[in-house]
Amino acid sequence: MVSQTSPMLEDAKPESATERIIERAMKIYQNYILRVLLQAVLTVWAVTSFTFILIRLMPGNPIDVLVEQILVQEGISYEEAYARVASSFQFDPDASTLDQYLDWLGDLIRFDLGESITSPGTKVIDEIARFLPWTVFAVGAGLLISFILGIVLGMAMAYYRNSPLDHLLSLFASFITGIPNYIWGLLIVIILGIQFGLFNVGQLRGTYASDVEIGFNYPFISSALAHAALPIITYVISTLGGWMLNMKSSTMSVLNEDYVNVAEARGLRDSRIISAYVGRNAMLPLFTQLTISIGFVLGSGVVIEEIFVYWGLGHYLFASITTRDYTSMQGVFLILTMTVVMANVLADLGYGLLDPRVRVSGEK
Amino acid sequence: MGKMKDDVVLQVDDLSIVYHTIRGDVKATNNVSFELRKGEAMALIGESGSGKTTISLSLIRKLPKNAEVTQGQVLYQRENGEVQDILQLSNRQLREFRWQDCAMVFQGAQNAFNPVLKVSKQFEDTARAHGWSDKKAVRQRSLELLKLVRLDPERVYDAYPHELSGGMKQRTLLALSVLLSPQIVILDEPTTALDILTQRAIIDVLNDMQEKLNFSIIFISHDLSLAAEMADVVATVYAGEIIEIGPVNDMFYESLHPYTFGLLAAVPKLDHEQDVLTSIKGTPPNLINPPSGCKFHPRCRFVLDRCNVDVPALTEDLGSHLAACWNKEAVVEARKEQV
Amino acid sequence: MTRKQKTSDTLANDSLTAIILEIPLNLAKAIWGFLVKISKNRSGFIGFLGLVAYFILTFILPSFIPFDDEANLDEITGPPGSRIQLAVHVDNADVYQSLEDLEGRVVGVVTQTGGPSFIAPYEDTLTVEEFRWSSRRTGPGIQAALTALANQEIDAMLIFSKSVDEVITNQEDPDLKALFDANIVISNPTLGPRHWLGSDTQGRDIGSHIVHGGRILILTAVLGGVISTGIALVFGSLGALLGGTVDNVLTALTNLILAIPRFPLLVVLAGLISFNNTLFLGVLIGVLGWPALMRAIRAQVLSLRERDFVEAAQSLGLGMPHIMFREILPNMISFVIINFIFSITFAMYEQIGLVVLGLAPISDYTWGVMLYFGRTRGTLFNSDGASMALSPVMAIALFQVCLVLFARALEELFDPRLRSGLV
Ligand SMILES: Nc1ncnc2c1ncn2[C@@H]1O[C@H](COP(=O)(O)OP(=O)(O)O)[C@@H](O)[C@H]1O
Ligand code: SF4
Ligand SMILES: [Mg+2]
Repeated sequence: MVSQTSPMLEDAKPESATERIIERAMKIYQNYILRVLLQAVLTVWAVTSFTFILIRLMPGNPIDVLVEQILVQEGISYEEAYARVASSFQFDPDASTLDQYLDWLGDLIRFDLGESITSPGTKVIDEIARFLPWTVFAVGAGLLISFILGIVLGMAMAYYRNSPLDHLLSLFASFITGIPNYIWGLLIVIILGIQFGLFNVGQLRGTYASDVEIGFNYPFISSALAHAALPIITYVISTLGGWMLNMKSSTMSVLNEDYVNVAEARGLRDSRIISAYVGRNAMLPLFTQLTISIGFVLGSGVVIEEIFVYWGLGHYLFASITTRDYTSMQGVFLILTMTVVMANVLADLGYGLLDPRVRVSGEK
Repeated sequence: MGKMKDDVVLQVDDLSIVYHTIRGDVKATNNVSFELRKGEAMALIGESGSGKTTISLSLIRKLPKNAEVTQGQVLYQRENGEVQDILQLSNRQLREFRWQDCAMVFQGAQNAFNPVLKVSKQFEDTARAHGWSDKKAVRQRSLELLKLVRLDPERVYDAYPHELSGGMKQRTLLALSVLLSPQIVILDEPTTALDILTQRAIIDVLNDMQEKLNFSIIFISHDLSLAAEMADVVATVYAGEIIEIGPVNDMFYESLHPYTFGLLAAVPKLDHEQDVLTSIKGTPPNLINPPSGCKFHPRCRFVLDRCNVDVPALTEDLGSHLAACWNKEAVVEARKEQV
Repeated sequence: MTRKQKTSDTLANDSLTAIILEIPLNLAKAIWGFLVKISKNRSGFIGFLGLVAYFILTFILPSFIPFDDEANLDEITGPPGSRIQLAVHVDNADVYQSLEDLEGRVVGVVTQTGGPSFIAPYEDTLTVEEFRWSSRRTGPGIQAALTALANQEIDAMLIFSKSVDEVITNQEDPDLKALFDANIVISNPTLGPRHWLGSDTQGRDIGSHIVHGGRILILTAVLGGVISTGIALVFGSLGALLGGTVDNVLTALTNLILAIPRFPLLVVLAGLISFNNTLFLGVLIGVLGWPALMRAIRAQVLSLRERDFVEAAQSLGLGMPHIMFREILPNMISFVIINFIFSITFAMYEQIGLVVLGLAPISDYTWGVMLYFGRTRGTLFNSDGASMALSPVMAIALFQVCLVLFARALEELFDPRLRSGLV
């Protein structure tokens, strides 16, 4: 694949060739970004349409459920309740599914996610804007830390393979990945928080203490970090093992590559070989897995944030589900999907930066 | 350190290497000794599995982990006359020795370049590892060398490895191997994976380079015609031993060992490419339990009674070069009959 | 011609009987070989033994250990190991050891507790005095019961080790404490059976819930795994073998579903339609869970297709089904099994995650539901009651770890190149 599409630098035509190559490479690279972005937009459209349809295929009618709920809670007439629900939805619930879909798509393009049903007047997009950064912060920090740690430990395992260190770390990695992340969350709360009293779970509710001022100041930052610490630790523990084991097998196969052998024969320093020759190449396959992992961790954030009462998007999603706030629910889901897709775009672009070969062929 | 003749850069004394495996020790190198003179090209020829790669890897101490050097020394003489045993170098000395003093182009090194770094980066890495961090100077020298190996220097230097064809990579690697002006360059079957035209080009480039830069070469091949073209001295390796060694003309026209003779008998003309090594009957010996006496005796046309008991030594008793055989006369006779 | 026919018939018969006879033999051989192999991989062997233990725990033990559904108010949130004890006046410590010794005497029990069921066989021989759990309600409470015992108004008292601890040792009223300490002793600390894992907020035996709470969870997770592995296998091999439009469509669909944050989708669906059917949830999880595996299987089939034996079969004109089931499937069966195990862990992850959030059916009392109740009833904050949440947490965690260790060991046992998809 690579050899077919890559420009072959055979001997002829020496003049101005350098320029041409640079030009062509730039164009190709820009195309690569363009292609990735286009794919992302298409994916968001397809995924949200798919869930739009899926939700409508599900048995049970959310509108009836909502009308009933409002009827019971507020004791207003059926017509009033129905009108209220209908006005809160972005679409007219009586219209045909196709019209609903087109309507919804139009709003989507304008980023209009409608108003919350349970607290009329609150724009869903504003609520999301309030909660999303915290989720991105916690998930991002957790994944970053575990990715880096996993790469370092995985390489250590590969370099010292079959040593007691390797066996110990392998067992450790299998063990920590085997346990679901919300179980880790609960274990942390039960064992560290309650049995050992290392922290007060109640005080760590929310995303920062209520008495600090938002901004670039020490109390705010330290409070935000303290509140995010437990979710982050949970994300790190539950994803670390996977990175370690994958990095180990990836490193072991890179260590057998000719270029590593040649680099050693060239008398390069070990530090240079480990970082630029072994590490960088061994990391490449992990980037593909990063894209799957981002979606998984973001998704699992719903439970984790609920366990630690961390006020991120997952917490908001769960809150809107318990109150059956249909518009919020759909809005959060849409934004979560877009975040996953965007994160994948970033991972893809990062991959492109690390591996010159994909810039040309687009193949991994 | 031991004494070395002034014009010798590398002297291997009584070197033996085994590979430890589950099925037993593979005796891949046995009591090998030879000298490599300054500016000389020596070819190691022999069937695949005879131990050529093992010998060459030991010269830069790059043997696989399961290998053990059981005896011998590898003496290296610097330009200033200082002599060192490579097998005794500290890790740091060894790192500096590699590529600066002795570069090696590995067998089948189609993937010798790190795919994620530009060629230029890999040249710079090599230079910097040996204390040469002036990027401009490195670039200038690299471009000269790339030109010497007949590539378009600027384009190749700024390219990524995947943008180069196999033959171009091989020539780039040749240029890289002499970047630090080493005294010795080891080439382990540098042309095996390439098509015939590219092989030709590489050999021309090599001859050209050696003429201009004047380094010593250890050239490993099972292609005799290439060896004949490249080498000043030829050594035949069989079952981990050098069984015959001498100047290229002596070896090709007056070979004294039945094995070398067998190899050459199948070559009608020297510049005719053909994988001749398959033409000797029988299979290569098992190196875990090698045959007794002369290891070639199960396959030898000229075998004598004593051959499976007594080990022949490398001697100069007949002819002008070293060969290890009890029945050199028979080889000489056989050649006369052939003519 | 006929003779030839006949020979081939008998041949077929012979080989048929031979095959039928060989099947159990070969199976036994394969199982033995597998056991020998797995026992060499230490962590894999641990995982294997763990899975066997779980099988016994969740599929065999429930026939022997009944599900404890009886609420016992004086046993609530008992720590592991607590049980019913016999408390007597210090003067009678040596006299009253068991209920038989108490013939004709007055024995106090706490209503709605484990006590009455112990008394039942002896009800004709002794007088039973009932006390209520709480003194706030009408009638004398447990404090009053102990006071009565201290004053020898009753002869003995059946009491839960946890409440003895609370009411006697941790007595805050100094007068009462002195009274109790001076007069009451436990004459038989082992009257009732031990709650190995303690008791939950309703005084029910957690151990029995652990024994009963795994089966449905594991079965639905396996169901989810079977469904997603099945879909992945069918789609992956169809895409790889047929290529062209079919492949493009399937790959696009896979990438699409892969981009959906799966767990939030389940959460949203749960919010929309209220899952109340465990089976439905298991199927739904399976139906959404195939894409990642489909990709891997597609790559496997693609690379296997390039191999000589498959090309040979193709050139012999053997049909697609033959190639798939005879040539390709046997060569990647280990890969499929390993991924099947991983998909079980994912299915279980999602199912329990929903339960923990309170969005999945809680009608079956599974480990997940125990965890849900343990969490929502605040047992996490009570070190005596932590077992209610911690026990299912451990049961789930260890099960998942065993599965992962086992699957990883299989990965190493079978062709290690399969892992990197090289083949
Ligand atoms: N890492 C190793 N472990 C065990 N045996 C080896 C190893 N490398 C090479 N050998 C064995 O050593 C012998 C010599 O191999 P080699 O030096 O590669 O020969 P050549 O280069 O002449 O083909 C062969 O029999 C080969 O099988
Ligand atoms: S020593 Fe004997 S067996 Fe060996 S090569 Fe000479 S003649 Fe042949
Ligand atoms: Mg070799």
